[in-house]
Amino acid sequence: MNEELKKKYWERYLRLKHKGVKFYPDVVYKDLVVSFALFLLLVGLAAFVGVKPEPPVDPNDTSYIPRPEWYFLFLFEFLKFIPGELEWVGATVIPGLAILVLLLLPFLDKNPHRHWSKRKVGTGVMTAIVLAMVGLTIRAVVTTPPQEEGPVALSLPEQIALGQELYSIHCAECHGPDGEGGEIQGVEGLEGVVLKPINSQDEMYTRSDQTLYNIIAYGQQDLGMPPFGRAYGGELGPAEIKAIVTFMRYTWDDRVELPAEAQGGGMPTLGPDEVPSYEEHVEPLVKRYCVSCHRPGKKNNNYLMTSYDEVMHSGDHAPVIIPGDPDNSILIQLIQRHELDFSRPMPPTKALPDDVVDIFVRWVAAGAPQTAAEADQIEAQQGGGAAPATPQP
Amino acid sequence: MTDKPSRMQALYAWLDERLGLSTIYKVVLDRKVPKVNWWYTLGSATLFLFTMQVITGIFLTVYYVPTPDHAYDSVNYIMQDVSFGWLVRGIHHWGASFMVLFVFLHMLRVFYMGAYKYPRELTWVIGVLLFVLTLGMGFTGYLLPWNQRAYWATTVGTQIAGTPPIIGPWITRILRGGEEISALTLSRFFSLHIWMIPALMALLIAVHLYLVIRIGISNPPSKDE
Repeated sequence: MNEELKKKYWERYLRLKHKGVKFYPDVVYKDLVVSFALFLLLVGLAAFVGVKPEPPVDPNDTSYIPRPEWYFLFLFEFLKFIPGELEWVGATVIPGLAILVLLLLPFLDKNPHRHWSKRKVGTGVMTAIVLAMVGLTIRAVVTTPPQEEGPVALSLPEQIALGQELYSIHCAECHGPDGEGGEIQGVEGLEGVVLKPINSQDEMYTRSDQTLYNIIAYGQQDLGMPPFGRAYGGELGPAEIKAIVTFMRYTWDDRVELPAEAQGGGMPTLGPDEVPSYEEHVEPLVKRYCVSCHRPGKKNNNYLMTSYDEVMHSGDHAPVIIPGDPDNSILIQLIQRHELDFSRPMPPTKALPDDVVDIFVRWVAAGAPQTAAEADQIEAQQGGGAAPATPQP
Repeated sequence: MTDKPSRMQALYAWLDERLGLSTIYKVVLDRKVPKVNWWYTLGSATLFLFTMQVITGIFLTVYYVPTPDHAYDSVNYIMQDVSFGWLVRGIHHWGASFMVLFVFLHMLRVFYMGAYKYPRELTWVIGVLLFVLTLGMGFTGYLLPWNQRAYWATTVGTQIAGTPPIIGPWITRILRGGEEISALTLSRFFSLHIWMIPALMALLIAVHLYLVIRIGISNPPSKDE
């Protein structure tokens, strides 16, 4: 830009400035309005949308689909259009050149005009680039499959509940539902092995969380305990193993107090005249006492218990449950410790507590309702006088 | 006889004599600028977002621990147990996205209005540097929660940075502090995120603002210009 143009620019600018406004309050007012609106927006997003919980780092989980922050997605997507051996050009050379051009823009652009209509090439190219970035970002969002994630347990009660569930599935078949140990029955390769309790003061006082974590992850392979950590060929990630350790610590260690929200260990309570439902009362019991063996891949006469449908209809001797007839339901006979010709009493090692058996019996007797709403309906019919339970005076 | 100056006026006069407050007021606030439109608020909005990120970020460092053993749990602690921790983290999380967005929009505004031309070339160059540093803040901050998303995004990001021949593997090793993402990567990114990049940004913002005030806000261009 030559001296004459510079002089003309300043003359014009000073004229506009003279005709203009005061920075304070005119411009400051606009700035404050926008900043305040942004502040409200941020507080609103923090309060009502929050930050999506993510599971902790697991370098062994290779199924995880890496996704960058949304403003890098366009670059990620752009690289998909570049052949593999030239990836480095797309990843470093092109963005590097783009930044360099931006940096030097005032010196590369010799056009003295400022209005967009007199800089059609420059504004056209920039518009095309911005549209391409937006398009690539949208394409990346649309084509990236959603990440499959298990539940993320953040609060202590959530972690204890998750740990309880995982313990029942992965540990209870050998260590017993309450960590009491004893003789293993019905587990391939470990039949008849006697385990010491793992819920004792000795165990809890002498093993740190880290030790418990390592035992679960690596196993005690010389003693027959397989590895459960994904890093050693098991199924569990770090978050899941941590949840199991948390459950053990808060349930069995008498130095640690169970938080009030987690009292009862997630076990259902049932009123004297209440009709139990599968979802509210039976499912937690099934998860705790049955599912460790009654899931795919275990020896269980093909009787699976991971959903209501399976509980009602699966198995070599189906139906295992006859709604309204507990005495002839195989499930009830077995948990009441009857020996049948195709099965020993269940669970194999230790009888269920009486109140737990009672919930199963009352549930089957009421017709094995699935949801709490169905159970309420049955309860209302029973209380409605159709079949008076107690003789009237 | 004129009124005796009040105590407040006397205090102001004393401070003004030493700090030059009225000069600052005249130069920074009471100056005339060309009539401008709402697009001109993007710069100050970006400055506001930067200030929010600094404030919330400082509060987050009170509880955040930059080690693989504790990073995830300390963020969880901030979200679950610290009073209003969820608010501070939430603002920092969302503010980061808005910061990138607003820096970019501000840059587009300046581009389309041709405001990077004489006499504001240096203001533009510093602005582009600030844009790159903002992306650096986004990249380094993304790893700090030490969750799956963070870990895998950084794995891929540092891998992509290492694709050029010859120097590539060296770049990846520098970024990761070794062959793999580890405790060293986390402490490196933490240091970059809370000290090195923000300090540089604050310095550049100061120069950027000095130039804006010294040269004056650009006027919206007209066709005959």
